[in-house]
Amino acid sequence: MTSALAAIALLFALLVLGALAAALADGAAAALARGRPAGAALAVPLRRAAFLLHQQAVTTERPDRLNWLLAPVFYVVLAAVGLSVVPFSADLVALDLETGIVLWGACESLVVVVVFLHGWSANAPFAMIGAYRYVAIGLPAMLVSMFVLIAAALPAESLALTAVVESQRGLWNVLRQPLGLPLFLVLGLSLTLRGPFDYADPYDLAGGTSAEVSGPQRAAWQVARLTMLVAFSAMAATVFLGGYLGPVLPGPAWLALKTALVLALVVAAGQAFARLPPSRMLSALWLVLMPLAFLGLVIAGVEAL
Amino acid sequence: MAVSRLSSLAAAAPAPVYAAIGEGAAAAIEDLFLDARLDRAASPRHAALLLVCGRFRDDDIADLCRLHDQLPHPRATLRWRAEALPGFTPDGVDLAPDADVAAALHAVYRALVAGARASEPALLPDEPPNPWRGRGDHGQGGEGMMGGVPYGRPMAMTDDDLRDGLALDAYAAPFGPFLSAFPPGLRLDLTLQGDVIQKLAVARPPFDQPLEAAHPLRLAARMLLPLGLPGLAERMLRRAAGLAPGTPAAVADLARALRWRGARAALPPGLGRIPGGGDVRTRLDGLLAAAGRGEAAPAPGAPMALSELLVGREWAEAMLVLASLEPGWLRRACRADMPHAPSEDAA
Repeated sequence: MTSALAAIALLFALLVLGALAAALADGAAAALARGRPAGAALAVPLRRAAFLLHQQAVTTERPDRLNWLLAPVFYVVLAAVGLSVVPFSADLVALDLETGIVLWGACESLVVVVVFLHGWSANAPFAMIGAYRYVAIGLPAMLVSMFVLIAAALPAESLALTAVVESQRGLWNVLRQPLGLPLFLVLGLSLTLRGPFDYADPYDLAGGTSAEVSGPQRAAWQVARLTMLVAFSAMAATVFLGGYLGPVLPGPAWLALKTALVLALVVAAGQAFARLPPSRMLSALWLVLMPLAFLGLVIAGVEAL
Repeated sequence: MAVSRLSSLAAAAPAPVYAAIGEGAAAAIEDLFLDARLDRAASPRHAALLLVCGRFRDDDIADLCRLHDQLPHPRATLRWRAEALPGFTPDGVDLAPDADVAAALHAVYRALVAGARASEPALLPDEPPNPWRGRGDHGQGGEGMMGGVPYGRPMAMTDDDLRDGLALDAYAAPFGPFLSAFPPGLRLDLTLQGDVIQKLAVARPPFDQPLEAAHPLRLAARMLLPLGLPGLAERMLRRAAGLAPGTPAAVADLARALRWRGARAALPPGLGRIPGGGDVRTRLDGLLAAAGRGEAAPAPGAPMALSELLVGREWAEAMLVLASLEPGWLRRACRADMPHAPSEDAA
């Protein structure tokens, strides 16, 4: 009971501090991509957030106001619930489920619903287009991640994340299943609406699902995206980088370090790559990434036999 | 105490500006946003300042007023190199043509955040532009729960689909002339099904811009924005901004960056093909090559109507095609889709 409470405290600390670090990383990465000095840009996302708290939250004509306001709340809740199955050490986990990977998968797929809700409830054309565009791209991205996660669970012979971590004592999954982490990072970009997978809130739709959102409501949506990035990074660190395993430092410290590494990778990838038009991305997902994920699953299955 | 700390943090943020770009102002606005003190907002909802720059048509004034009223409070308008605009009369700031515009914008932004400057009231009454015309089951005048023109705005109604024959909702609305993803001044009457353009009519063509705005590196940079590469686009604009006309630019590193970032691979082969003018991908290559030789943007090929290029395309692809068109060619393509187009000379 005490350890569960300690794990819950760690979970919220990781979410808050991780989101703060992610905001700083976003500022630096955006500046570097523009060829500007990164140091001066570190705090820019925090300053923008402070401005949003000063700005009026405008409304549209007949929005679904309740769902519009709740969408970022649901997003944060999904990040927290998804993170709850991640172990901070062998006996420090908020929710030690035998089916932890299934719970994370449920959170992933509900992100599609939340982002759709955010766009749909604005009652405006660009927000709506961003919403169903995200559903079209988000669903196959989730399917890819399901194959990848099942492949990672095979050597552990368990869907519990503590077992998945313990199965990596000899060799981390990032080396055992080299296709896994790169494919899972695709999901990270999609779950957090970033760069090459930002189909919900892109430039060509004037901000997409966020096109009509301003003020504190927009700040809440950005914070929700960052908390989901933290939850995703911790999950990737757990499934592919041995989670809390490591010498000298305590388990939570190792998990935090590995989470920071994945987070930096996702932030950098968000700035580094071009976004395909949606129909081309759909072809890439169904015809390239999905077969690759399936191949990874078959190889993992044969190894497990 | 906490509030004042939050205010000073907000005051140090880049000023979020939505630019209403008129005739002759495109390059100056692009260069202005290279300044780290400013953020270019993609939606007026994300901005605190409206920057009005260049010359506008009489028809644009009503759109300018609507645009102004979409900015959340606190908001302010700044006019720079703009002619008098009868009918558009916010209590804004007029900047001198040679002013330090970035500094002036940020000063107004700080005053807004600190509460030292009052937010501008709306220019238009908060009421529907057309009267209620209720009829039908839900008072909207269509069939069932769909269709009709309740406030003079057509509601979605099923229509034949160009691609797969599914009868999905068709949504008709005007887009532009200040939409950030459109060339400045372009106003299209579009019918969309999902995000596929089913019908297109040009209401107003894009504004004429000086030769400087058609530098090949500027055109290439505009293609990178819909590809989600604003960083690389800014690097291209920075290079174009420092060049005298006809000077070759160093483009080897930019071409390499385009390849590594997957920008060329992201462009579907054959998208926006024009006889004699290649597709979107070859046009991007052509722009980089022309910039390297110090030449103007290459001639885009045989004349076509804009609707021939955009109808049947998904929104994201259509924005890429639009961004890939040389401004002069695009204006001619627009005139082909305007039933009563004035001649180029008259415009």
